[in-house]
Amino acid sequence: MTRLFKHIGGDRVIWMIVVFMALASVLLVYSSIVTLAYKYQDGNTFYYILKHGLFIISGFLFIYLIHKVHYRYLSRFAQLLFWISIPLLILTLLLGQNLNNASRWLVIPVINQSFQTSDLAKLALIMFTARTLAVKKDDLKDFTKGFLPIILPAIVICGLILPANFSTAAVLFTSVLMLMFMAGSRLRHMSLIIPAGGLALLLVFAVAKIQPDLFPRAETWINRVERFASDKEEDPNGNYQIEQAKIAIATGGFFGKGPGNSTQRNFLPHPYSDFIYAIVLEEYGLLGGLFILMFYLILLYRAVRIVQAVPHSFGAYLVLGLSFSLVFQGLVNMAVNVNLLPVTGQPLPLVSMGGTSLWFTCISLGIILSVSRAVEVGATEENYKEDESKNEPVNKPIADAAN
Amino acid sequence: MMRVYLLYFLLGVFAFAIVFKTVQIMYVQGDQWREKAENLTVKYRTIDAVRGNIYDYNSRLLATSVPIYEVRFDPNADALSDELFNSKVDSLARSLSNLFRDKTPFQYKRELVNARNQGERFHLIKRNVKYNDLKAMREFPLFRRGRYKGGFIYVQQNKRQKPFRLLAARTIGYDREGLESVGLEGAYHDVLHGNSGKRLMKKIAGGVWMPVNDENEIEPEDGADLYSTIDVNIQDVAEYALMKQLKKHEADHGCVVLMEVNTGEIRAIANLQKGSDNQYYESYNFAVGSSTEPGSTIKLASYMAAMEDGFIDLDHKIETGNGKHLFYDTPMYDSKEGGYGEISVKRAFAVSSNIAIAKIINKYYKSNPQGFVDRLKDFRLDEPTGIEIAGEGVPYIKDADDETWSGITLPWMSHGYELQLTPLQILTFYNAVANDGKMMKPSFAHSIQKHGKIVKDFEPVVLKDQIASEGTIKRAQQMLEEVVLDGTATNLRGADYRIAGKTGTAQIAREKFGYDDVSYQASFCGYFPADKPKYSCIVVVNAPSKNVYYGNLVAGPIFKEIADKVYSTSIDIHDELQPLQVAERPKIPVSKNGDVDKLKSVFDRVDVKYHLDNDKAEWVFTQTENDSVNIHERKVTPNLVPNVRGMAAQDAVYLLENMGLHVEVTGRGVVKQQSLRAGTRIQKGKKIKLELT
Repeated sequence: MTRLFKHIGGDRVIWMIVVFMALASVLLVYSSIVTLAYKYQDGNTFYYILKHGLFIISGFLFIYLIHKVHYRYLSRFAQLLFWISIPLLILTLLLGQNLNNASRWLVIPVINQSFQTSDLAKLALIMFTARTLAVKKDDLKDFTKGFLPIILPAIVICGLILPANFSTAAVLFTSVLMLMFMAGSRLRHMSLIIPAGGLALLLVFAVAKIQPDLFPRAETWINRVERFASDKEEDPNGNYQIEQAKIAIATGGFFGKGPGNSTQRNFLPHPYSDFIYAIVLEEYGLLGGLFILMFYLILLYRAVRIVQAVPHSFGAYLVLGLSFSLVFQGLVNMAVNVNLLPVTGQPLPLVSMGGTSLWFTCISLGIILSVSRAVEVGATEENYKEDESKNEPVNKPIADAAN
Repeated sequence: MMRVYLLYFLLGVFAFAIVFKTVQIMYVQGDQWREKAENLTVKYRTIDAVRGNIYDYNSRLLATSVPIYEVRFDPNADALSDELFNSKVDSLARSLSNLFRDKTPFQYKRELVNARNQGERFHLIKRNVKYNDLKAMREFPLFRRGRYKGGFIYVQQNKRQKPFRLLAARTIGYDREGLESVGLEGAYHDVLHGNSGKRLMKKIAGGVWMPVNDENEIEPEDGADLYSTIDVNIQDVAEYALMKQLKKHEADHGCVVLMEVNTGEIRAIANLQKGSDNQYYESYNFAVGSSTEPGSTIKLASYMAAMEDGFIDLDHKIETGNGKHLFYDTPMYDSKEGGYGEISVKRAFAVSSNIAIAKIINKYYKSNPQGFVDRLKDFRLDEPTGIEIAGEGVPYIKDADDETWSGITLPWMSHGYELQLTPLQILTFYNAVANDGKMMKPSFAHSIQKHGKIVKDFEPVVLKDQIASEGTIKRAQQMLEEVVLDGTATNLRGADYRIAGKTGTAQIAREKFGYDDVSYQASFCGYFPADKPKYSCIVVVNAPSKNVYYGNLVAGPIFKEIADKVYSTSIDIHDELQPLQVAERPKIPVSKNGDVDKLKSVFDRVDVKYHLDNDKAEWVFTQTENDSVNIHERKVTPNLVPNVRGMAAQDAVYLLENMGLHVEVTGRGVVKQQSLRAGTRIQKGKKIKLELT
């Protein structure tokens, strides 16, 4: 064991949380794929669990490999990834695989694995934003030099994601705003986004009304929001998903029904991804739900701890951006499951089944751990700092909140 | 860092909101959602496949699934007004009370009114309602208005039934949820069960389930039918013959197995054990499951071993002395006072001398005891038969190097102690002797059919081609015949045909009664007709509590009764009668009343003219004239006690039990008296006593 641990760097608590979540994921997915298995694989649940297991194992491989890479190399990589993701998103919009009227998927040739390009774009944008923030650190307060160069890429990427996947775009944009806020962007500048965004949305809906083909999903969004806002009793059919989720939660109770005993998995749409938190609450009860929630908050807390110790702003922004967006996405999933937010298709990071999105989550975690490892190593090896200083000045990474 | 903490705090608040909302759904609105869960609008319903039937050798139903119904009442059905309910509730209560006779009309009325007042929508009226009763209930006041106007709801379930009740009940077995499956139901579960289907159902107004799609999501596949080798007619005889003897000797339990010699197919298997009420029940399959020390029936194997090794022949003389012989310091006795003196091997076997066989085996195998054990193994006595139903007892035959092997093991083993076999295993061995040395695997399954088409035919399985040389088998057969001709079982001698077999009387130490108290196991194993063996049979009676415990006296009569009956009814055993004899036949035999098809086939077969007054009749009675038989219909009206006088017990029991009566039979033959008068109304579950001639 000690020999194994020697190879594993970075925050141990984060490692433990990831391992635990992966185990929870196997249990939950195994329980919730029954209907899917019946539909497509003659009830062969093994097919799905094997696939999921392989994704988890390869995910761990990603974490391990990436956490071994020093994060300073990721700065260039972020740029590259960002510029790749834009054409990929356009490509997806034009010829992506259609699922529920939403072109979100692109099939990787050769290995024939479909993946959601927005997952890649998400990672790329946050890394890119972290990089830009680090580069423009001194001009952050300036609108044209410090604000626009950061917000514009976010608008482009989110704008490309939006037609097919509103919620991902919204969650991602919010994540970027959170990162900017923490990095010290001016609130005054950021508050401009709200009227601008509102205006943009109005425009989109207006176009959708006139030209429904351009935004085929617009109708779904409106329906969902209306449903969420309206009185549930009036619309017995439309609120089916939420109703089923609530039944799952209510019948789960404090201790839950026990592993594998979910009945709502048969009625919940996508119980293995979008509504997996409802399954957590049904099978493991409030207690299990609290555990999962606590893990996310602990993960975030550990990330903040890393940030406190990291001597270099790019690393700090990287960790903040990735951890906050990951946890935020998780919270959004849970909030949807408990009907705190309207229905969206956000999976629960690390827990939901969903091949490639799991990979990107693992890559994010690998990056966070890479920074963490660098901090650990940095504390003992002075040469690291000197190395860094050639490129960018060592500085106190986080701007004062007072500004 | 302040901004980071601020944002962390905000996400913490978000998380708290999630917990808050969860708790709210769970505990504040909990009841509402849990109630919704009860009335889930969409559900997968399992559709049970129809379980296959089990038939006997002559295609009579041994086990079948019949629909039974759970009847419920929705006293608050939408279209059920106060006026309607109040005007009809009295007559409904009266009808229910009349049909089930379990509550007074007043009790029923109070129940129905309470259910209505308490707002029930699914009030249980009765479980396990039979189809006929359901049909009657459909015509009841209110109920006849149907589901929405009258609140009449019923749910169909399937219930396994054995039309012949006790007959072979244990061997037919059961397959119930939560219990280990036994018997044929268990052994052929996969075949009988089929595959259940699934159907997506949605709930619509009024709690009615409607399929969502036109077809089942997964179609159920009906189970196949098992045609067993059991012959209910023989089974009937075996069961009652065994029951009679067990009662007579107040035995603890007993079993009978009858096997067809050249196929190993089991035609009858009865296992009866005394219950706490001193009645006998089929509760454990002793014939298959219970390994015991067999006693004298194993002597056949011992003699055959010595003959196979060329040590003895039928006319060799053995000195048995005065009936007491010491092996080391343990005495062995023969049952005859003063002993048999010097007798031949054949004679020794016929009179079942313990000393003779013990001395022979001890003399020739003392130097090589394993040689004797190996012979027994050559006879395949050390292996289970592999019968398809679960729970076969494992034979116990120890090797010479076993640590419990002692100086007296050999002599004691030679006459059936220090080794254990099940009745079925002994029978399989005897059957092999009857089958000229070819050992057949006992079997219960004849074929598997689905929708009348044969899916699988079970061919007879040979366990061992030749268990011993032809000469040894021939001598063994002669010895077995001698037992009945002039040995321990002369009481089995009959005029028409000969029985060959061996008696056995084993002492069984019953530890629960202390070592001093022994009980006996009386057995008889053999085959008939001796010259052309058709059936082999074993009878084992355990712990007869009276003073009579010898195999010939306790088990023998059962064997004889079964053999007589089987012989007289098996047309294929008899030699063809000469035409002349038919012509001279003075009188047409008197026939029993009963099932018309069987009567007709018998009359056709023996070429008797008959007149049938109603072609559609099912149950008939007969009048024997000089040269023909008149068959008249015997009307059987549902819910009225039929006249079963003159019928065979088997037909009468079948008819009455199916009408819901409990039948108790005394005597045998045809029904002479019935305790419930014909034409009176049947009350379900009531006892009817039949006295036979």
